[in-house]
Amino acid sequence: MTSSSTFDRLLDRVNAGERLTADDIAQLAATPDILSVGMLADALRRRLHGTRVTYARVAACAFDASFANAVPPVAREIRITGCPTSLTSARAAVESAKAVAGDRLVSGFCWQDVERLGSNAGLPVARVLAELRAAGLEALAEMPMDAIDDEAAVIDTLRQAGFDRLRLTVAKAPAAERTGAMLRAAALQARFGGIRAIGPLPTVLDALRPTTGYDDVKAVAIARLAAPNIPTVQVDWQRDGPKLAQVALTFGADDLDNVTASDEAPDGRRRAPVEEVRRNIEAAGFTAAERDGRFHPVS
Amino acid sequence: MVDELARKVMDGARVGAADALELYRQAPTHLLGRLADTIRARRHPPRIVTYIIDRNVNYTNVCVARCNFCAFYRPVGSSEGYVLGFEEIFRKIDETMAVGGNQLLLQGGHNPDLPIAWYEDLFRAIKGRYPELRLHALSPPEILHISRINHVPVPEVVARLVAAGLDSIPGGGAEILVDRVRKLLNCYGKASADEWIDVMRHAHRAGLRATATMMYGTVETDEERIEHLIRVRDLQDETGGFTAFIAWSFQPEHTERGGVEATGIDYLRTLALARIVLDNVDNLQASWVTQGGKVGQLSLAFGANDMGSVMIEENVVRAAGASYCMDEVEIVTNIEDAGFVPKRRNMHYEILGDPIFREREVPRMLELATARSAGDTSVPEQLRQYPARSRAGKQLRLAQ
Repeated sequence: MTSSSTFDRLLDRVNAGERLTADDIAQLAATPDILSVGMLADALRRRLHGTRVTYARVAACAFDASFANAVPPVAREIRITGCPTSLTSARAAVESAKAVAGDRLVSGFCWQDVERLGSNAGLPVARVLAELRAAGLEALAEMPMDAIDDEAAVIDTLRQAGFDRLRLTVAKAPAAERTGAMLRAAALQARFGGIRAIGPLPTVLDALRPTTGYDDVKAVAIARLAAPNIPTVQVDWQRDGPKLAQVALTFGADDLDNVTASDEAPDGRRRAPVEEVRRNIEAAGFTAAERDGRFHPVS
Repeated sequence: MVDELARKVMDGARVGAADALELYRQAPTHLLGRLADTIRARRHPPRIVTYIIDRNVNYTNVCVARCNFCAFYRPVGSSEGYVLGFEEIFRKIDETMAVGGNQLLLQGGHNPDLPIAWYEDLFRAIKGRYPELRLHALSPPEILHISRINHVPVPEVVARLVAAGLDSIPGGGAEILVDRVRKLLNCYGKASADEWIDVMRHAHRAGLRATATMMYGTVETDEERIEHLIRVRDLQDETGGFTAFIAWSFQPEHTERGGVEATGIDYLRTLALARIVLDNVDNLQASWVTQGGKVGQLSLAFGANDMGSVMIEENVVRAAGASYCMDEVEIVTNIEDAGFVPKRRNMHYEILGDPIFREREVPRMLELATARSAGDTSVPEQLRQYPARSRAGKQLRLAQ
């Protein structure tokens, strides 16, 4: 991969709008030359989004806490964290969130939560999804590809239940497995549609063996290159941290998810999260644009 | 213009200030990385990335310099001020050697109550007890401070400290080697740009090797950041005394200056530019202690060939809000994961061997130690042997 002729050939193809093959992706995933991988992903990212980087202010609130106290007016999405054991409680949490959210998007739970709620209630997952949808849930917060056995069936079920802004995530798969997951995500998008975003960095952190910077930026770049048909590649501002999140923008990411919605900053307005986010986006050479939970621009 | 400059760099030509500025401002981040990575690969062809196991000990936090970017210092007379006793330092050395460490990085505040004899006695005591240990100690402003309060010329201070056991000098206190910046940071008084350079010149002439550093991201302009690099390069042309260059970003938390920290991309671009400009400095360290392990590792693609130190202990950056930690296992994992071969080194960048944890069991370290445990306000007994200059210091001696 490090040969300049191979790189130039791939770059020409990316710039021409041609899709890289699974073999190309595997070759890129195997190289330690992250600069080349990053340049390819950046080229594709710029072709898809120009210099625009979006970010979303999200109010995260535990299902059993008071949403009224936890949702600032500037929040563009209300994300329920955790999950109760009963469908009744889950539905109540969604209704409480929706009452506070107004026309803002309410997200929450992961696919495993949905299965657990169905199992506890003795109901099929389709029914669980329908009830949560009816209560006001518009999106699942996490769909960890490495923890789902039959991804196609799950996507199909979600689509039929009216969930049309799917966000695929990775729980803790090693870097080598994530490449396959990104290629599968692209195939699922081609078959079912409805996948709005992909978050390729692990949501479960291992303190003794954390992922490395190389792992992370390569995962972002591979996600961008493997799934050009999925509009958005996200990193998580709070979980991944400002430094890595910013660098990831130059390796193919185009969206900063989960920016805290509270601008309460003890050190003043310049240290407020949204100012910090915009400063980081602009310092990386991009244009910052706020979006809402439905990926619509906020004027 | 950028393409032309890139070709120039690839051809191995030296870059002037104007060209460096153009590259820093206009070159895409990946291109800067590519240029820096190419130079690193030329200088270090076997893909070896080094690191050192040493401990970063701050012998005192009492300081009269009052730099407004520092969250670590305490003024003379502060109840939070401390001076480590020799026995405390010996314990730290024992712990360092137990995990394979071979060097003590010893720096501290400009304490007016520590005469040169205290340093000489400490160094002799350390060397007498640990003859194999390397003493990488006292940045140029500290040497200048010792010179001033003892009325001893810098070359003589250096000679006396070398005679007592000093092996090499850390490049701290350089900040930005431009006096306009130093005045704004209130560090012109501790050492002007010329004074910092001059102490290094004396040290190099005395046969000491040293590192050079840069703390960026305060009030300096892009031009001043580059001027700093050029000043380091000029001295290196003259003496060849620098083994390595380390850049880190200003950490604003709890400092008088405050403000915001430069971003991760800014760090990688600055590092890459340093590799391009400093064509006569062999080694560039990754500053994982300020950037975190992930951007620290990514530094290896932007010109760094060294992961710095395991550190074991850190006080100065932690005081300003950054508290990253990487033990040897994690440093080695990061090096190998990036496709490089990890090797332990000493301060002179001589290879000492493979990772120590692969030779014997070493406990994992998930948090860096501090100079002292919270609430420890003890005053070392041996301080009584050394005359104090400040009123607070004299009162403390009398109370002992």
